[in-house]
Amino acid sequence: MHPLPYHRPTSLEAALELKASLPGARFIAGGTDVMVRLKGGAPRPSALISLRGIAELTRSEVAQSARLGAAASVADLLAIDALREGWPVLADAMNQMASPQIRSSATLGGNLCNAAPCADSAPALLVHGARVVLRGPQGERVLALEEFFAEPGVTRMGADELLMSIDVDPPEPGLQTTFLKKKRVAMDIAIASVAAGLVMNDGICTHVRFAAGSVAPVPMRLPATEAALCGHPPTDARIAEARRIAEEEVSPITDIRGGADYRRRIIGVYVERATRALAARFEGSE
Amino acid sequence: MTYMGTSPTRPDAAAKATGRAEYISDAVRPGMLHGAIRFSEHAHARILRIDTSKAERIPGVRAVITAENTPEVRLGFLRDNLALKKGKVRQFRDEIAAVAAIDPDIAAEAAAAIEVEYEPLPAVFDPIEALAEGAPLVHDVDPRGRPVTSNLMPVHFRHFSGDVEKARAASAYVAEGEWSTPLIQQTCMGTAGCIAEFDPQMNLTVWAKTQIPFLAQRDFNGALAQMGLRNKNARVIVPALGGGFGTGLDTHCYEYISILLAWKTGKPVKVQYNRDQEFAYLSPRQSATVRMAQGCDRDGRLTFRHVHVVQDNGAYGSWGATYPSVMLLPATSLYRVPNIYFDCELVYTNNTYAQAMRGYGNPELTFALESNLDQLAEEAGIDAAQLRLINCNEPNEVTPMGLKVATCGLRECLEQTAERLDWDNKRGAPDGTARGVGMASLIHVGGSGRIYRSDASGVILRFDDWGNLYLSSGGVEMGQGLHSSLQIVAADAIGVAPDRVFINQTDTSTCPWDVGTHASRGAFTACNALLMGATKLRDKVFRAAVELYPQLVEEALRKQRKRDPDAPAPSFDWRSRIDADAFDLREGQVFLSNTDDPVLRVDLGKLIRAAHFRDGGGQMFTVEAFYDPPSELPDWEQGQGNMSACYTFGTQGVEVEVDTDTGDVRILKMAAVLDVGKVINPQILRGQTIGALAQGVGYALYEEVKTERGRILNPNFTDYKIPTAVEMDFPIELEFVETDEPTGPYGAKGIGEPGLVPTAPAIANAIADAVGVRIHDLPITPEKLLAALRAKNEEAT
Ligand SMILES: Cc1cc2nc3c(=O)[nH]c(=O)nc-3n(C[C@H](O)[C@H](O)[C@H](O)COP(=O)(O)OP(=O)(O)OC[C@H]3O[C@@H](n4cnc5c(N)ncnc54)[C@H](O)[C@@H]3O)c2cc1C
Repeated sequence: MHPLPYHRPTSLEAALELKASLPGARFIAGGTDVMVRLKGGAPRPSALISLRGIAELTRSEVAQSARLGAAASVADLLAIDALREGWPVLADAMNQMASPQIRSSATLGGNLCNAAPCADSAPALLVHGARVVLRGPQGERVLALEEFFAEPGVTRMGADELLMSIDVDPPEPGLQTTFLKKKRVAMDIAIASVAAGLVMNDGICTHVRFAAGSVAPVPMRLPATEAALCGHPPTDARIAEARRIAEEEVSPITDIRGGADYRRRIIGVYVERATRALAARFEGSE
Repeated sequence: MTYMGTSPTRPDAAAKATGRAEYISDAVRPGMLHGAIRFSEHAHARILRIDTSKAERIPGVRAVITAENTPEVRLGFLRDNLALKKGKVRQFRDEIAAVAAIDPDIAAEAAAAIEVEYEPLPAVFDPIEALAEGAPLVHDVDPRGRPVTSNLMPVHFRHFSGDVEKARAASAYVAEGEWSTPLIQQTCMGTAGCIAEFDPQMNLTVWAKTQIPFLAQRDFNGALAQMGLRNKNARVIVPALGGGFGTGLDTHCYEYISILLAWKTGKPVKVQYNRDQEFAYLSPRQSATVRMAQGCDRDGRLTFRHVHVVQDNGAYGSWGATYPSVMLLPATSLYRVPNIYFDCELVYTNNTYAQAMRGYGNPELTFALESNLDQLAEEAGIDAAQLRLINCNEPNEVTPMGLKVATCGLRECLEQTAERLDWDNKRGAPDGTARGVGMASLIHVGGSGRIYRSDASGVILRFDDWGNLYLSSGGVEMGQGLHSSLQIVAADAIGVAPDRVFINQTDTSTCPWDVGTHASRGAFTACNALLMGATKLRDKVFRAAVELYPQLVEEALRKQRKRDPDAPAPSFDWRSRIDADAFDLREGQVFLSNTDDPVLRVDLGKLIRAAHFRDGGGQMFTVEAFYDPPSELPDWEQGQGNMSACYTFGTQGVEVEVDTDTGDVRILKMAAVLDVGKVINPQILRGQTIGALAQGVGYALYEEVKTERGRILNPNFTDYKIPTAVEMDFPIELEFVETDEPTGPYGAKGIGEPGLVPTAPAIANAIADAVGVRIHDLPITPEKLLAALRAKNEEAT
């Protein structure tokens, strides 16, 4: 590959200035998407601007709520005890990404900005109602993650903006979560995935969240599926109904990794499995 | 024997573990240029115009070649392929032009700048459609220019014995079906590449990633002749290989292209594929469809086997087109079957052309055969293991193909596999889970496979003045451990320590001829040659000892007396004449076999130096040996002939669990029992077998080169999935049955390929046992399995 101009600014301001002054330049964080695409013959950017030298972007704060640095590596995030304990579904999802080698380079921000339908961190973050903090010449703005994805490979981030952090609120009291990912072999991107969150009170589902990956142009919440369960006990009939709705709610395509029908089917199976598994966790406590 | 059956550190271990081994991707020559190839963008098209002018103007470009400005170089055993295509392209990866430049990026840029104008032609991608009347012809003329009327390749493999129709009519039970296997990639860790360089006399050296250095030399010499370089020679040097798996059985267009570029530029030229190119431009394993029917009588004795194979060869013929030569083995000789029909059609299509891979047709055929056998067992109401035992091959039998089976441990393999799987309790158990067990067996050539006039291996053995042994073999170390086997057998057979055995780099200018490292033959033939050479070499040493031993002992005694005047005299009169056969050589010490007196031991190096520098004419200790196994080149039209000196047998068993909601298959356990004749190096044997099992698991469950109208859709590891350590994370019980094969070196049989042969049918059979559905086309993906499960449930309701 011919060499490409490469910049490694150490401040946000410098990064944004470089981006503004270099038309056609692209940010690079871990490079695990960018470099693969470049080698695959994707259009070459005019320059690469690394975000790994900017302390504000690699730092995370995790306590009651979490602010995760966009350029923190997945491995670094997984090493934060409070994150694993407070938001286990995010840890699960990140743990199922790629391989240890890739995780030590890949970043959470890169996973979201790449805007692949299969981005594993997205469904988990959607279950927690995460927000993204963007920074541009005009300053900061905050978007719900649901609003962030526009279409495959495209976000609603402006060309002059970058992703600073991912903000997550404290989990609902009593929230139980799980992440299920269908892949061909251990190291694979998802053919279909489901992240789920459930709170039950007196046998009734009082808070329900489902999000799915690889079954629509962008990672998506499944509001109709959630509604089918919310306010009800998770009876066989309810679960069957939720499963049916989930299969309809997604809009997968057939590609080399799997057929649309199969993906729908998996979403249904995973919605059912997730619901049963999470509901079972409330059984002893009531 | 001291070293047979042990695992001394392999000679290449340290270099490979520390990154010092030199693979073709590491190789550099002074002044070397880099080649890049321009491939076709159509599956079938006439080439109307090639414009290389833009490419030629790019700074750093040293040559741009096409069929127009280079001599025609034909290749392939059918001579149906051209290094640079002329007139038309027949597959997506056809080589149209090539560039040599001062660096790989410039070369790639220039190759992309070549403009090609095509006229697309109707193409055919399905071998059955290719055989239909009026199908587009992939080759409309043969290599001699005579018109061709069909896409059938002019290659025939058949076998008919007994009366299949009569036997079928008389059978109590019959099962039949059709099975198919996909195109798969060999996925060598080291990708393909070569360097070609002419010396000032226009002799050629090629550093080639090959398994057949001597046949490659012949091929390259043929190319030199076609280029008008008469009476010139090609020398082939083999660097460290990161796996071969059959990809090195043929010479390839990229090699001839680097030769043409080197010839044009007068510089060494390297062509090196990266992973994407390896996937897109190197030939994968053939896909095949096998129709199979078998029958048995009331007692489960097989009555007949009817096999018809259609093999999609793609656009050109490679040695892989001769897969049916090995398919004949299981078709005629796995289990005892009296009446057999075997026929095959090898078809040209506009798909990527295929080549050899480990197992060479055997996994394809065995998948059908062993799947079908389970169906027959079910039909007949006989336990599937029992059915196999009833029809088991036995030692000292001659099979319908004329294979002379001397040793055969198949019965033990079957019994051991059943025991290790807890077959009697687990098979067919309605335990409420979707778990099941399955098994399948194999027969493979164990004593090389004669598909060429000579099936021989040579060896040259030489002692230097210090008693180090230098061994030159034409066999290729490609990671499988051949050099370790040679060390072990040399150490025991000659009598030197394994780390005193140095194995020379494979090079046609210094090594003796060898037909190639394929057919699981490397260790079998090279070690047999080595054993012949060992006898000669020891004989030379002992004949020198007859003359020189007394004086050397005398010297040793003198020295000993100096150190210790009271040392007792040896109990043996070393001064008397000693016959050559009284000597022995062990661990680099020459001694008399009837005494263990340490002063009577002479260092081999000393003896050699004494012989070397002897007054009145010294000598050297170099011998050669040439071993051609006792086998026959079969008559392929009749499917008759004892193609190997011996045969390897084995059985594999698998326990699986199926997730009936998702179609996921989890392997809980595998057992593999292999009749290996004799274990040479247990660690390497385990490595070879487990590696093969992993390949078998990939074949069964994951791997497939996907194509759409001849274009490869998944030329990368993102979408071409092979098993990793995670997929192989289940208990594997390996057992080696030692039948001590008389033709084998110290009793050993070839084991390079067999480990993957029966894996896919064993898994398919286990899945059928678990959930009652059978997948007929590999790989058995969750999607296919789920669809089959749902179809079955719909049928039931
Ligand atoms: C072998 C392999 C396996 C993989 N497996 C998985 C998997 O299982 N699951 C999965 O989800 N992904 C997987 N991936 C994809 C990839 O690793 C992840 O998407 C990763 O999180 C990307 O992060 P990165 O830092 O490497 O992104 P980069 O490649 O650096 O960037 C990706 C994109 O985001 C932009 N970008 C990055 N950071 C910012 C920012 N802060 N602000 C604005 N733009 C930004 C870049 O410009 C680029 O467009 C795999 C990749 C490989 C190579």
